[in-house]
Amino acid sequence: MSLFTRKPLAPLEYTKRLWLRSWIAAVTLFLYAPLLVLFVFSFNDSKANVVWRGFTFKYYAKLFKNDGLMSALGNSLTIAFLATVVSLVLGALAAVMLWRFRFPAKAGVEGVMALPIVVPEICMGVAMLVFFAAIEWPTDLPWPLNLSAITIAHITFCFPFVTMVVRARLANFNREEEEAAKDLGANEWQAFRDVLLPHMKPGLIAGALLAFTLSLDDFVITFFTSGPNTTTFPVKVYSMVRFSVTPEVNAVSTLLILLTIILTTVALKLQNIAGDAGAHK
Amino acid sequence: MNDRISLEALKSNRRSLLKGMGAAAIGISFAGLAGCGGGESAKVGADGKLAATGEAPELNFYNWDTYIGETTLEDYKGASGTNVKMSLFANNDELFAKLRAGNPGFDVIVPSNDFVERMVQSDMILPLDMAQIPNFKNIDPAFTDVAYDPGRKYSMPYTWLVLGIGYRKSKVKPEPDSWKVLFDSDQYKGRIALLSEAGDLFRLYGKYLGKSVNELNAADIKRIEAMMIKQKPFVKAFHEDNGQDLLVKGEVDLVLEYNGDIAQKMVEDPDIGFVVPKEGSQLNSDSLCIPKGAPHPKNAHAFINYLLDGNVGKGITEAIQYPTPNGKVKELMGEEYSNNQVIFPRADVLSKCEYAKFNADIQPLFEEAFTRVRAA
Amino acid sequence: MQDWKTQRSAFAAIATAPTLWLLLFFIIPLAIVWAYSFGSNDGLTSIKISGTFANYARALEPLYLQIFGKSVAVAALTTLICLIVGFPVALAISFATPKWKPWLLLLIMLPFWTNLLIRTYALLSLLGTRGVVNQGAEWFWGAFGLAGMFGPFEPLPLLYNNFAVIFGLVYVHLPFMVLPLYAALDRLDKSLIEASLDLGAGHWTTITRIVAPLAAPGIISGLIITFVPALGSYLTPDLMGGTDSQMIANVVERQFKRANDWPFGAALSFLLMYATFILIALQALRNRKAEAGR
Repeated sequence: MSLFTRKPLAPLEYTKRLWLRSWIAAVTLFLYAPLLVLFVFSFNDSKANVVWRGFTFKYYAKLFKNDGLMSALGNSLTIAFLATVVSLVLGALAAVMLWRFRFPAKAGVEGVMALPIVVPEICMGVAMLVFFAAIEWPTDLPWPLNLSAITIAHITFCFPFVTMVVRARLANFNREEEEAAKDLGANEWQAFRDVLLPHMKPGLIAGALLAFTLSLDDFVITFFTSGPNTTTFPVKVYSMVRFSVTPEVNAVSTLLILLTIILTTVALKLQNIAGDAGAHK
Repeated sequence: MNDRISLEALKSNRRSLLKGMGAAAIGISFAGLAGCGGGESAKVGADGKLAATGEAPELNFYNWDTYIGETTLEDYKGASGTNVKMSLFANNDELFAKLRAGNPGFDVIVPSNDFVERMVQSDMILPLDMAQIPNFKNIDPAFTDVAYDPGRKYSMPYTWLVLGIGYRKSKVKPEPDSWKVLFDSDQYKGRIALLSEAGDLFRLYGKYLGKSVNELNAADIKRIEAMMIKQKPFVKAFHEDNGQDLLVKGEVDLVLEYNGDIAQKMVEDPDIGFVVPKEGSQLNSDSLCIPKGAPHPKNAHAFINYLLDGNVGKGITEAIQYPTPNGKVKELMGEEYSNNQVIFPRADVLSKCEYAKFNADIQPLFEEAFTRVRAA
Repeated sequence: MQDWKTQRSAFAAIATAPTLWLLLFFIIPLAIVWAYSFGSNDGLTSIKISGTFANYARALEPLYLQIFGKSVAVAALTTLICLIVGFPVALAISFATPKWKPWLLLLIMLPFWTNLLIRTYALLSLLGTRGVVNQGAEWFWGAFGLAGMFGPFEPLPLLYNNFAVIFGLVYVHLPFMVLPLYAALDRLDKSLIEASLDLGAGHWTTITRIVAPLAAPGIISGLIITFVPALGSYLTPDLMGGTDSQMIANVVERQFKRANDWPFGAALSFLLMYATFILIALQALRNRKAEAGR
């Protein structure tokens, strides 16, 4: 009997509905099919990597000896990390400023904050190139300072995204909570740190993710702001286009994705353990 | 309540995730850079010595990707003690746009012939000191004095190329011999890919119409524009110098491409052929130059001289399989290479090929007309 | 919202860093390029700023307006498809059990962390004439004997046309749409939905008349975050498009690179920006009115 009866779904349990699940499955297939192709072709025994010619691990081996690719990847990750951190700070500050205060020319400031999202990348790239050349920004600094021009450019176009996301989150913050904290004796800074900041966290996290990805992926602006020996990963990959993209690139992308999955899984598992430990107190 | 808790979980996951990724980033970046000698631009080499030239033993080389031999840079380090760091660009426009606002610190660059002209006219290149480049004697006489750099005052030839038709032998019969099949015919509609470069396209159309590449005027441009628009429905794609990939993948059967690119693919796929059409074509040559403001000009000269050496050039040509302007290298490469008709087309064919002259007045007209063609 | 004068020091502490940064590293560089748009080429590498409007006049010619229009249409279609595809996904994630939420979000965001160029090359392998999809279709054709009925297998033209451009753009921008939608749906008061269902409205009515209006700010955020970058995208049309897939960003790129006409490129870019700026400003004004009304 119980074979043929199904537990009825609650009205809000949308996620359990078949059509929604199929939809998600289809979208997942859509999003991941190219990545799967990427993964499979990283084992292709063909330098040009356009047609399948055989299975090999040699491109993974070559990858670790490919100094150019590895240092480009290192540069990209470093820039992305630094840019994310600074963007978070600037973006959060800007979001709070716009959400909390009225001040003259506010609409103008809001518009200007939105501009980095709107500017065509190549226009911004050229603008930064000309700017850094005009102020004679030094280009022979040791690593990682030689990445400074690129990092500054990245921060500039990343933090408005953070602002937008954090602001959306702030919009439903109840100011009475902050006022209550102040009534109980907190000063401005404590109220900010203990009441506002926790509320903003989902927005900060979403913003950080967005900033990290935008920075890691950026190619146009990076190209124009990079000096000698500051090649980043996308620039390196794009420069391979004239002589075709080898399976090494597939290999490094696969590894990047694997790294992300591993890190996230570990983080989630640790969180679950911490959560369980907390619950048992 | 549930939503709140899940969000807490989410936020701390992401927070620790970010920490994790940050740590990984630093870890990877240090590991990756370790291979590059610490990455610090030391003013003297690791053992405290200066290069023989008296400058710090370093060189910033701005080049196309993989456009060098497999061990050339390491060999040079062994021979001279100079550490060459190669940065990459994907096409001449990027090179020019980057250097236009001022040289960010490159010592040797590799522009194509029309860009050599452009950069000389913009006063961006240092004249070469021939006393520091004795290997100039290796260069084939055809390249020692060219229209785009009379007397080779500013550039040394690195490779040369000719544009032509790459095609799949089994699908394209008879063997094409004229630009007509790419530019003016629906015989292979939907199976054609053209180079996305406005200037080159217009000049080759000019060749097809029987004119010299450097003698096109506004009326010609209008006429060619109309022809292009008429041909556009039969063209599958405009490629960015990766036409050889499209050919190999079977996306198209005919491409407008450089002989060197096609020669590289013919090794893997014997069904691919290449021909320079009977109306003639356009020559290109990538050259080594020293931009103004180079921090190590003497090292730059020494490096250029090294690249012109016969054995070094052989190593490079074996890796990239492009036609070489270096007579010594051609000798050393042997018969299979020098008799390859794709890499070295016959003299009677080459006689109808010309270098494109950089013309600042007509280039914008090409670009605008091409934008119109693309929008039509 | 409080007036800045009431808490000057707090305001200064909060507002100084972002505004200074924007001023120094964004406004000033952009101002230089803006000045270029009123100039003309003076030789090959320098630009004379002569206060001319010729570049803007040229940018408003029918040729370029037509390209603008086409780009807007492509970006709008992409955004619409992203909305239709992304809304159920965002809905599913926001109603998932807390255990699954982070995983589902990760699932959607993960492809986003792969390099754009690489994803595009992967799409090329997938959609090519002898790519995975076509090979699969060919096998399918053979396995089910369709050759008898419909003739020999013709590869599907999935690449180097406008279909490919839209496919590629949707592929790249879908996560951009899902994230804000999810954020908006997540903070909805679920009891409102329950109330609506209790009162007899069907699911569809509930979604269109209760959920959508309440999530509107998030939806609009998502629309903007998707539409604007799609409008300015140039790698995807460049690598995946056919001969008539030229978008405005490709034209701008040509001006800054091969055509070496920076003033004109600047004029085109700024026209694009003025238009989008106006859109966003209008939305900000509407928000202010809504807030004032509360």
